[in-house]
Amino acid sequence: MILLGKVALGIAGTALAGVGLICSEGMIEVNVVEKQPEAHHVYVLAPAMLMPIGMHFVPSRKLGRAAMELRPWMPTIRAALDQLRAGEDMTLVDVRETGQHVLVTKDGGSVVVDVTDEDETVHVSAPIRAIESTIEQVAAASPDTHQ
Amino acid sequence: MQKAMRAFGVCCVLALTMSNLAVTALAATAPATERYLHVKVDDASKGESVNVNLPLSMAAAILPTVNKGSLHNGHVTIGEADFNGVDVRALLDALRTAPDNEFVTVKQKDQDVRVAKSNGNLIVHVLDKSKDGQKVDVTIPMKVVDALFSTVKDNELDVAAAIRALSDAGDAVLVTVQDATEHVRIWIDSHSASE
Repeated sequence: MILLGKVALGIAGTALAGVGLICSEGMIEVNVVEKQPEAHHVYVLAPAMLMPIGMHFVPSRKLGRAAMELRPWMPTIRAALDQLRAGEDMTLVDVRETGQHVLVTKDGGSVVVDVTDEDETVHVSAPIRAIESTIEQVAAASPDTHQ
Repeated sequence: MQKAMRAFGVCCVLALTMSNLAVTALAATAPATERYLHVKVDDASKGESVNVNLPLSMAAAILPTVNKGSLHNGHVTIGEADFNGVDVRALLDALRTAPDNEFVTVKQKDQDVRVAKSNGNLIVHVLDKSKDGQKVDVTIPMKVVDALFSTVKDNELDVAAAIRALSDAGDAVLVTVQDATEHVRIWIDSHSASE
C-alpha cells in the first residue's frame, strides 16, 4: 500500500513538473467572439511552448520558402524582439476606423493583438519568447538542414 | 570578547545599510528614461485615427540590422541627383555657425515657405494656400541634422546617429501636417502612450 502511494506520488510529481515545464514559457490565448445571431465563440488557451515544439512536426519543405524570406530579416527580428521584451508595457499600434478598432500592445512578456469590428472581436496573446522561438524554428527550416 | 562581537555586529549592520543606500542611489541615478517616437494621424472626415508608439532604443537597435535597398547599417545612400549639386555639408556648417535668423522666406500667391534657425532647431514652415491647402511645420534639432550628415561619405545619411541624437534631445514636436481633413503629428517624449 505504501509502495503504491509512493508510485502515485512519483507519477503526480512528474506530471506536475511536466505541466510546469510546458507552461514555463507562458500561455497563448486566442479568443474569437462572433457578433452574429448564431454567434460562435472560440477560446483556446495553450502552453506557448507547444508552438515551437509543434513547428518540429511541420514538414521542412512547407517552410522552405518562408525560411528563405525570413532569414535575411532575422537580425532585425531578433533586435526588435529583444528590445520589446526589455521595454515597458505599452501600446504599439492603435488604429480606429468606423466600426473597426485594432490594438497591438506589449503586456508583460506578451504581445497582445485585439481586433474589434462589426462582425467579431478577436483577442490574441502570445509570449514574446515563444514568438521568437517559433520564428527561429521557421528560419532554421530548410531542405538542407531537415532532409 | 563580547564587546568585539558586538562591534563586529554593528559594523556588519552599518556595512549592509551603506550598501543598500549605495544601491538605492545608483538606481536613482540610473540612465535616463526611455524616449518614444509617436506618430498620430487623424482623419476627421472618415473618423479614422492611427497611433504608433515606438521606443527610440528599439529604433536605434533595429536600424543597423536592416540591409535592404538604400538602407545599410543605419546609413541611407542618396543619389547625387537628390542634392542637385548643392554642397549640403558646407550649407550646414554655415547654418550651424549662423545666429538665429530667418534664412529663406518665400511668399507666393499660392504658397508661403519659411526656413529659419531658432533655439538650436532648424525650422521649415510651408503653407499651401490652395483650397485644400496643407500647413506643414518641421522642427528638427540641429544636433539631429548634424548627426544625419556625420558620415564620411558625401552621399550617405546616418539615420542611426540621428535617432541616437534624437534620444538625447528634449521633448519636441518634429512634424505637423494639417490639411482640410487630416492632421499628422510626429513627436518625441518620454511617455509610452500617445497622449
